[in-house]
Amino acid sequence: MNDVGLVSAAWRTLRRRPDVIVAALIVLFFAVMAAFPRLFTATSPRTCAIREARLDPQGWGAAHPLGTDALGCDVLATLVAGVRPSLLLAFVVVGASLLIGVTLGLLAGYYLGWADYLISRTIEVFLVVPLLLAALLLLSLFKNVDLGAGTFDVILLPAVVLILFNWMGYARYVRASVLEAKNLDYVTAARSLGASDLRIMFRHVLPNAIGPVTALIPTSIAAVIGTEAVLSFLGIGVRPPATSWGIQISQGSEWVLGGAPHILIAPLVCLIAAVLSLVVLGDALRDALDPRLTA
Amino acid sequence: MRQTRIATFAAGAAVVALTVAGCTPDDTEPDSAGPLTLETWISQDMETLFPGDAGAYDNISVLDTVYDGLVRYDPETTEPYNYVAESIEPNDDNTVWTITIKPGLTFQNGEPVDAEAFARSWNYTADGDNGLYANYFFGIIEGYDEMQPETDDAGEIVAEGAADELSGLKVTDDLTLEVTLSSPFAGFATMLGYTGFFPVAQECLDDVEACATQPIGNGPFQVTDWQQGQELTAERWADYPLEEAPNYDAIHWTEYSAGETASWADFQAGDIDLSFPPTAEVEAAQSDPELSERYVEQPGAALTFLGFSGYTEGPWNDKEFRKAISMAIDREGIISSLGSGQAAPADSWAVPGGVPGGEAGTCEWCVYDPEAAKAALEAAGGWPEGETLQISLGDDDAEVEYFTAIGNSIEEVLGIPYELNIVSSDDYFTIRSEQGYDGMFRNNWFPDYPLNENYLSFYASGEPGAGHWGWYSKEFEDKLDEAAAAPSLDESVALYQEAEAILAEEFPTIPFRWSFSATYYSERLDNVILNPFSGAPILRDIEISE
Amino acid sequence: MGRYIVRRLAQAVGTLLLVMFVLHLLTTVAIQLNGTPAQAFFGDRVASPAQIASVERRFNLDDPCFDQPGNPCLGPFVERLGQYARGDLGTNLRGREVTDIVAAAAPNTLRLFSVVLVTWLALGMLLGSAAARWRGSPGDHGIRLSSVLIDAFPVFVLLVVYRYVVAVPLNRWSEQTFGENSWPPYWFKPSFDPSHPWATIVVPGILLGLAGSAAFIRLVRASQLESYQGDHVRTARSKGLGERHVILHHVVRNSSVPVVTAIGLAFVEGLGGAVITEGIMNIYGIGGVLWQAVQDDDVALVIAVVTLLTVVTVLVMIIVDIVYALLDPRIRYE
Repeated sequence: MNDVGLVSAAWRTLRRRPDVIVAALIVLFFAVMAAFPRLFTATSPRTCAIREARLDPQGWGAAHPLGTDALGCDVLATLVAGVRPSLLLAFVVVGASLLIGVTLGLLAGYYLGWADYLISRTIEVFLVVPLLLAALLLLSLFKNVDLGAGTFDVILLPAVVLILFNWMGYARYVRASVLEAKNLDYVTAARSLGASDLRIMFRHVLPNAIGPVTALIPTSIAAVIGTEAVLSFLGIGVRPPATSWGIQISQGSEWVLGGAPHILIAPLVCLIAAVLSLVVLGDALRDALDPRLTA
Repeated sequence: MRQTRIATFAAGAAVVALTVAGCTPDDTEPDSAGPLTLETWISQDMETLFPGDAGAYDNISVLDTVYDGLVRYDPETTEPYNYVAESIEPNDDNTVWTITIKPGLTFQNGEPVDAEAFARSWNYTADGDNGLYANYFFGIIEGYDEMQPETDDAGEIVAEGAADELSGLKVTDDLTLEVTLSSPFAGFATMLGYTGFFPVAQECLDDVEACATQPIGNGPFQVTDWQQGQELTAERWADYPLEEAPNYDAIHWTEYSAGETASWADFQAGDIDLSFPPTAEVEAAQSDPELSERYVEQPGAALTFLGFSGYTEGPWNDKEFRKAISMAIDREGIISSLGSGQAAPADSWAVPGGVPGGEAGTCEWCVYDPEAAKAALEAAGGWPEGETLQISLGDDDAEVEYFTAIGNSIEEVLGIPYELNIVSSDDYFTIRSEQGYDGMFRNNWFPDYPLNENYLSFYASGEPGAGHWGWYSKEFEDKLDEAAAAPSLDESVALYQEAEAILAEEFPTIPFRWSFSATYYSERLDNVILNPFSGAPILRDIEISE
Repeated sequence: MGRYIVRRLAQAVGTLLLVMFVLHLLTTVAIQLNGTPAQAFFGDRVASPAQIASVERRFNLDDPCFDQPGNPCLGPFVERLGQYARGDLGTNLRGREVTDIVAAAAPNTLRLFSVVLVTWLALGMLLGSAAARWRGSPGDHGIRLSSVLIDAFPVFVLLVVYRYVVAVPLNRWSEQTFGENSWPPYWFKPSFDPSHPWATIVVPGILLGLAGSAAFIRLVRASQLESYQGDHVRTARSKGLGERHVILHHVVRNSSVPVVTAIGLAFVEGLGGAVITEGIMNIYGIGGVLWQAVQDDDVALVIAVVTLLTVVTVLVMIIVDIVYALLDPRIRYE
């Protein structure tokens, strides 16, 4: 299989679909927002006057374009400030679990034997323990540890927990494709030519398995963003006063009836837009990368 | 194809229909012929109904209908009046108290409510080996220390308590109890209406576990069914002999995992008779003219205050700094935005009007004054560059919101950056008692009995650096001792006020907020009165009409 | 097959012990690091060492190892295993039998799960099949997009909005329309009512099911697409069998394999949704019990409930694998 050919074919298919282009633009928009928050607002999310709480949206150009929340903080400013932790968390979690999952899946599928047994048991243990329970347990263990208030520090705990419970899917996926690929003719040929294990794994087996896994990435990122919101709602996600979309949504959901629905709607729209775009991208990517469905 | 889809859908719908229909709902709703039932709420984490083990708002409010204490409290003045007791008389120096009990009273199982019933209850609870919540109340009675287990330095029990009965407790005849205190205390009678001092039947002590879920009371209601975690029902005890008897038949408590405001939707749907809305809906409820007629409110007695880790190095060891923080907090703004109708700004350490001796305005620096706050911070030498003020609290959502607002207010006025250190509500107490905080932290106090003493005595740490706040004042503790030994309750109350003044001058903690009790009630209820002390509606006084 | 099941069961016991031990370690370390739950018992009070010690003993936490960080507390763990082996699940901190708690809470959670499952099956089979049947049509895109949209919507927002905005008016309306003693007002009760457990759990269950249905719809669609391209379908069609027959017997039946997988997985992941739904709708269920137990550092309750859950989960997984073999003759276990 020619990698370059597959990638450029995938690119051609993707380009022709307008929904994919819109989705990509939305994701890009949020990425820019995370990278350059100053472009979007000059207000700090931490200057909040409680006497100005729950102002209605005032429109672009006014002091509070999207109004203020229950604490008097500018909704637009918190929204912009919340992009970074939400996206960073998603990327860190997916990146790290991909790394762990692919490595372990590769080892298990390639060597089988006791390595496979050990890894498969571990996967099973992690699958059986409910994520939320483990999250609560782990977070309650470390909650008294002061990690600091940097962007990375505030997402560290939820990130570790989500990584711990996210890698199994990739590992199983990779293991299965490795099992399939190992017996392909060219791999057997490479082995009989005396290629080292490492070389066979990285040059021949891995590229075969990586396609379907890549297609999973955007959907996984979307899932992590959604899970973060749930963790925040349960009080075990990013910790206030640091903010994230999840925190804003769970705080805003109290005010739907209190005459200030904008506190909920603003972050909710952003979250749904981001998740939706990522899923559309993921779908398109899968259609493009999974040769079985393009037939 | 179309047929298939319709068939699938029909099948799915049928499954749903089968699971929910099948028969019509059985008739458990109150109608004209059925028993008149008060529908109300409690929190889900209620664990026990054994009087000596009760300490939460919920079991106290249930036990208040199931048991009668020696005294009850006047809803207007919070003063105790004799109820099961015929008389309660102290000797000259308030060390020996003679309690006589009204004759002819019985428990719901027929056992007599006599001096023995009180003695067995108090001895059981005071026995440290049983590990009950209300144990500490009996520390004031002679012989308490001999009943506590001995521990080594690691906190492990090495020997059980030597005695099984309080030596200061004597049953002199069937209806008379003589109590000797280990030190004089003029307010002893005030304590006696608290759940920990309720009597228990012998049958109850024979099987404490059963009694914790099926109490055998002497009050107007008896518990008939408790599905722990879901609901609790108590029915009127037909043979109730005393005068404060209800005009309705039963109380049904629904347990809510998220507390009172979770019951608001059910109140609106007509399933709950007493409730208060979540913050976001307070305004809507207040502006509803029809609802506002069915509303009672009462300043509450629970104080939320800020303490500092006086045991660690930091600017907070300077009184001027604490003043600066206090005056930088916009109490009114925060409370009107986040908790209107549920809280009131605090400017004293003992609740004004709620307990004898409680007065408003004893805290001079509890007003929002940004200029004075900045000046005080300057006088304290400012905030160290690059440091962050840590504010610790338990992980309750509403409180996190409040303390974010407090932090914002401080940051805005004084420019001190802050961070919240949120720990689980349970560990919060452990950390505090182990002096594990660094900076500022949340404290909350709900008094056990209505006397200003109860708001003050827990500041007594005994020695410099000890206690939750690492604060010690000999002057303050001497004043407390003097007040406890005062010849009359009135003099005692006045001396406690002087102790509060010392506290106000030294300013170790910052009062922030009083709880504020408010309840809406359904159309069929009347005579809903809130206990000025606990804030709970006095259930036995409520009248229900058809 | 028999030998396969025995091997799987043996592995399951290993997994179970491992899970129990890991949980035991985590909860023990939590107590060692954060202090005993005995202190929380006293709340705002300053308790004396003797008072704390006696409550610790009452809570069965008086083993000195709970005060020594790093000590794995093997003693209490072995003791607990022995207790379980005798069929005794012990009590929670406050002395309430774990079996009582589970017996009260589990039925409600099972009710919730079964409504969720029915919702999934109905939506997934219906919409998933339709999307696969008319692949690439606007209907297909519409189904996929709206399912993702619902999925992106955080489930707690759905439930909170339902409870506080929709339920009360619906309840009143149905009371006026159908009368107070009919079923519809019960369906729209804002809270769960233990005396009408089925009627009051339907709507929360459907909402929770709605939120998780997207993945299921996609799964059904994908597997049916694969079937449409499969040889057996082509053969069936070329034999001249009716389209309806082909779809029912060859496409839908074949797609039941991934559906069974999903049901197995749903069981594991459903607990998260259960915690949220039970919390918002005030349902006394396993999710909420477990959640509270972890927050209270209630070691005995956490381990007992998770052990039960693990047993059920592992059994469900094994059954799912066996059902695979029954549904798909290509899969053989040795």
